[in-house]
Order: sequence, then C-alpha cells, then structure tokens
Amino acid sequence: MSVAAFVVIAFMLAMYVLLDGYDLGVAAITPLVARSDAAREGSMRSIGPFWNGNEVWLIAAGGALFALFPAAYAASFSGFYLAFMVVLWLLMFRGIAMELRSHFPSEIWHQFWDACFAGSSTLLIVLFGIALGNLLRGVPLGPQGYFAGTFSELLNPYALLVGVFAVAALALHGTLFLIMRTQGPAAERARRLVLRQWIVVLVLYVAVSAATIADRGIRFSWIDAIPLLSLAALVWTLYASLHSQERRAFAGSCAWLASLMLTAAATIYPYLLPNLPPARGGISIFAAAPSPVALASALAVTIVGLAAVIVYGTLVLKRLAGKLSVEE
Amino acid sequence: MDVVAADRLQFAFTIMFHYLFPITTMGLVPFVASYTFQAARGDADAAKAASFWTKIFAINFAIGVVTGVPMEFQFGTNWAVFSAASGSVIGQPLAMEGIYAFFLESIFLGVLLYGKGRVARSLHVASAFAVWFGSWLSGFFIVATDAWMQHPVGYQISGGRIELTSLPAVLLSPFAWWQYVHVMCGAMVAGGFLVSGIGAYYLLSNRELDLGRRFVDGGVVVALVFSLLAVFPTGDRNSANVTQYQPVKLAAMEGLFESESGAPLAIIGMPDTRNGTLIDPIFVPDVLSFLAYGNFNANVKGLKAYATQLWPPVELTYYAYHVMVGLGTIFVAIAALAGLFLVRRTLFRTRSVLWLLLLVMPFPYIANEAGWMTTEVGRQPWIIYGIMRTAQGASPTVVTGETIFTLIGFAGMYFLLGVLFLYLVLREIAIGPSEASPHAAEVATA
Repeated sequence: MSVAAFVVIAFMLAMYVLLDGYDLGVAAITPLVARSDAAREGSMRSIGPFWNGNEVWLIAAGGALFALFPAAYAASFSGFYLAFMVVLWLLMFRGIAMELRSHFPSEIWHQFWDACFAGSSTLLIVLFGIALGNLLRGVPLGPQGYFAGTFSELLNPYALLVGVFAVAALALHGTLFLIMRTQGPAAERARRLVLRQWIVVLVLYVAVSAATIADRGIRFSWIDAIPLLSLAALVWTLYASLHSQERRAFAGSCAWLASLMLTAAATIYPYLLPNLPPARGGISIFAAAPSPVALASALAVTIVGLAAVIVYGTLVLKRLAGKLSVEE
Repeated sequence: MDVVAADRLQFAFTIMFHYLFPITTMGLVPFVASYTFQAARGDADAAKAASFWTKIFAINFAIGVVTGVPMEFQFGTNWAVFSAASGSVIGQPLAMEGIYAFFLESIFLGVLLYGKGRVARSLHVASAFAVWFGSWLSGFFIVATDAWMQHPVGYQISGGRIELTSLPAVLLSPFAWWQYVHVMCGAMVAGGFLVSGIGAYYLLSNRELDLGRRFVDGGVVVALVFSLLAVFPTGDRNSANVTQYQPVKLAAMEGLFESESGAPLAIIGMPDTRNGTLIDPIFVPDVLSFLAYGNFNANVKGLKAYATQLWPPVELTYYAYHVMVGLGTIFVAIAALAGLFLVRRTLFRTRSVLWLLLLVMPFPYIANEAGWMTTEVGRQPWIIYGIMRTAQGASPTVVTGETIFTLIGFAGMYFLLGVLFLYLVLREIAIGPSEASPHAAEVATA
C-alpha cells in the first residue's frame, strides 16, 4: 500500500510538471517572443483559464503527501524551511501578476506585472529543478530524518545544472503550447525558436544524464530502459513540430516530461527523501506511512477524487480549447 | 521571543489576513451565481450585476488563493512535530480540500471568467454554481480539520503517533458540523452586508439606482436571515459544544473566575487575571447558567476551578468573544431595522438607514475574525485539545530568526496585496456596474 501511495504522489507531481509546466514555460518564453502589450496579454490569455487549476496539482500533492506520508511531509517542509518560503512568495507574485494585470488599463501597470510574471515563473522553474536535483542526489539528513544541511548546500553544482535543464525543458514545453494555442506574430516567432530550444534541451539532457551517472555510478536495471523512451519522445516532439503537427508536438513534449518524472521517481524509490551518499538510507515510504487503516482511507479518497477531477476537468476544459488570435 | 511564540505569531498573522478573503468568497459567491443565473434568463440588469460582482469576486479570489497556499504549507514548515504526529488524521481533510474543492473551484472559475460566449450558456451558469459548491466545500474541510483539533474523534494513539481509525467520524463530527454552519452564517452576513452596503452607496450617491435598490434588497434579506441563524441555532449549539467539551474555554470567554450556581452573564467588564475578577462589569444574573445548561440555577465552573497552566490567554479570549457576540447582536438589529423599512417600502429613500448599511460593511469581517480568535486562542494551551500542547508541536529545526525573517516577508507581501486589493476593488465600485467594461477575460475571448 505504501508503494501505491508513492505512485499516487509521483503521479500528482508528474501531472503538475506537465500542466503547470506549460504555463510556467509560456511565462518564461513570453519576453522572447511577444513584442507588444497586446501580444503579452495574448500569452497570458492563452493560459488564463487553466493556470489556477494546474497549480492545484501542486497544492493537492502537498495535501496528499501530508495525509499519505505525514513524517516525510513534516521533515521535508520544516527542513527546507527557507526554500519552501521562497517558493511560496514566488507563487504569490506569479498568481497576482496573472490576475491583477488585466484590472487596470495602463501600459506601465501591464509592463510591471509582465516582468513580475516572467521573472517569478522562470525563477520558480529553476527552484523546482534545484529541488528535483537535490532529491536525486540525496540530502544530508540528521538522525531523526530532518534536513541537517544549509540552504547554500542545496545550491550545489549538480542541482543547479538540473535547475537550468528544467528551464530549458519547460520553456520548450511552453513554446509548443503557445504555438498550439495561439496564432499571430508571437506564435510565429515561437515557431522559429523551437529547433534552437530543442538542441539546448538535448545537450542539457545529455549533460544531466552524464552527471547523474557520474554521481551515482552505473547500476544497470530496468530503469535504464526509460531514457530510451525519453529520447524517442524528444525526437518525436521535434519531428512533429517541424511538420507543423502542433498537437502531436505538444503531446510528445508531455510524454518526454512524463518519462523524465518516471525516471526520477524510479531513481529515488523506495525513498521519499534519500540521504546524501556516502550516508545510506533516508526517509523511506515504509517508515513515513501511517497505520494501514489510515493509509487505506487516505488512498481511497485521493484516488477516487483524482479520477473524478480528471474526468470532469477534461470534459469541461476541452470546451475552452481552440486557437486564440493574438494581434501585435 | 521563543520560537513557539514566533511560529504562533506568524500563523495568526497569515491566517487572519488570509481569512478576510474567504469570507468574501463564500459570502459573495451565492450572489454571483444568482445574478449569473438571472442574466442567462435574459435579465439585462442582472447581467450587469453578474459582471460587476464577478469582477470583484475574481480579484478577491485571487488574493484568497495566493494567501491560502502558505497556510497549507505552514503545518509542515512551522509545526512539524504536530504534523508528523497527527498527519494521518488532519492530512486527510486537508488533502480532500485540495482534491475535492480546489480543483472544482479553480477549473470552473476558469470557465466562469473565460467561458462566456465560448461555452454553452447552461455550462456557464452551472460553472458559477460549481464555484459556489467548491468554495463552500473548501470551507467545510478546513472547519473539519480545525474541529478535530478542538475535539479529537476517530483516532487512536499508538507508538507516539495519532492514527486515524475512522474518516467518517472525523468528517461527520457534530462539533465540526455546528462549527461549519456557524462559520458559513458569518460569511453570509458579511456577503449580505457587502452587497447591501455597495447598493446603499449607489443610492446615497444618486446613481445606479435600479441596481442599487436590487443590491440593498437582496443584501438586507440575506444579512437578516443569516445574522439570525448565526445566533440561533448555530451560535447556541457551538456554545453547547464548548460547554461540554471545553469548559475552561467557556469560563475564559465569559470572564467567569469563580464557580457559581446561577452564574451571571457579563455583558461588559474587563478581566483582571491577577486578582481573578471582572473590573466594572455589567451582569445579567443567572443567564450564563441558563445559556450553558438551560437551567437558571445550574453550576458553571469558573477559571479558578482549573490549574492556571490550563487557562487559555484569558483577556484575548474574553474580548474576542465579546466583540463577536456584541457585533452579532448589532447585526441582527441593523438588518431587522432595514428589513422593516424594506417591508414598508421606504428603505430606498431613508438616508439614515442607508448610511447605516454603508457603514456596517466592514464590521462583519471583524466579527468573523473575532469568532475565530475565540475558538483558536481559547483552545490554548492545546494544539490538539487534551492530547498535545502547542509548545510541543513546533518544528525542531526552525529557529526564531528564520520565522521572524519569513514573518517580515509575509508582512511586506501582504501589505502590498492589501493595498492592491483595496485600490482595485474601490476602483471597480467607483466605476460602477453600468459604466464598467466586462471582465478582461470576457472581452478577450468573446
């Protein structure tokens, strides 16, 4: 049952990366492709109805972690106190930038919020990447499982590399979303950026993979098959994009990100928070889970609720799909 | 300052600021849904009203969301020992809030704001009702979480951990349900007075007369109904629960130091904890015994019957409770007075009562906050009533300096949010429903 709970948490975080990933990516790419007030507003409108629901995947994953693995929730949130607070503040800035921009008709007002929006979103991606990097690498844990390092230790070269990789990957994801969802000069510029972005992503992917292998050593297992899947998805994304198959390209990018999340989950399993080598162990899914009765109850309400969300969310949001024309 | 005090200060500050917005969300959403529904049936005035209130709702909702996220995180960041010990219970209603309520609210708010003219009219109207349902459901899960901390049920303690034994017991606890309906009454009183207050403002300014009358009319009726329900039965039943399960809190709320048969109700008075008396009180004899036990001669235990370590902070609990009850009584009076003029069809030209409706607008927010202060401050020294003390629940790795740093950060951020919110909402009110452009999202996608 702990394994099922781990799968649920990993699934929710993967959904967060796929969904909020594109709106964070759109925000990060907008300053590069949108050259006017109207175009930047178009970018925001392309994600307007969706971003809030997308972000709920993160908040719900936090709640689910609390219910499914209370010990891990407590140790990680308090251990990474400052990092979590910075993430919170950035999420706030991003949210109000999205919502308040349109409520006042002034270009200065718009420019300020556009900058906040792009800046906070990009920084959030970097921080999420750094968090993932540290999870993969392991973090120094004290005897009771609380984080025993410092904030600056979290900014190690490996984690920073993953942070940069995350920006590149989600920027590509957002670019493909923007191309699929809007038409106009900004979408055209985005289209011309795809190939260059793709190359950067590929290079960084190879670098991160090499660094991971250097860090962890090679242990052949079934996990090694997933990167083949990742590469296939990445190649498919470029192929579809170059052939103007916009939906397929975006779907390819989703598959690529999902395969990366799968690799990450398989790498840290069975830990939620692995200890930094050479120390062994960490907070495992078995130690962090509550009693079987409580875990079964939490799993049941989580899975039933998520199934319902996926069904009605898909049915409803499909009706808001379709292209937006964005003038410049 | 020790770290627990800093953690408590940060939680109190962030939750009190945050809660201002859910009050409006939960109290205003029925009006938004109702005007959206009437607009879809071809009522042109209702369409203006729906557009106007949806815009205010959206600004309010956005600030509510961004200030709400830190609340869910803070259990883990600042109260790690509490979270690790009780997560198997309270993690569940909190997770359910995210999965069952937040998705519903945010997905359908997207449809409500961006779907007009793009989705079927019935779906657009339904989405307003889905946002209503989602926001009220969200309130329920939060109250259920809090009610468990007030009166733990459905758990057992094994190996130092509190383990859930029954989720239905937690969600269906009578303590939770009475607390929930009382909280919702509080939000509806605020919503009703908000709508009638804005209506009164337009009537007093001699503009937007048709909509102004409509706002005053709807707002006063809602405020009257729910201010009465807030007193009875919901307020009364909450008092009964406190009397039964938290008698020390009751004594602190009422400022009762000595145990008495035929205990008097203190209308006003200032508690003096050093000498154990109320200073300059006005008493109504025997009434407290009646309210608590339905019997004018019943014995009510005073604070001195308990060790002082078990006392909550008496002054805060006492004043918060008296502010809530005092304001609640005033709300009934104002709503009843306005209702009387409404029935006699003279309200819309009686400027004095319209002024009263305008000025009462902020006070339900104070009453709502005071009610929560009574509940939460009165729960002290427990974080989980009778099981874990607040001082034991804080994170072991977080020091005072960190919490003060983040508290300053929140204070700065919330100051900015508060200024922005007031500016944007006052601007919308000044422009008015008739002159206003629709929500930007509606134009953009129409």
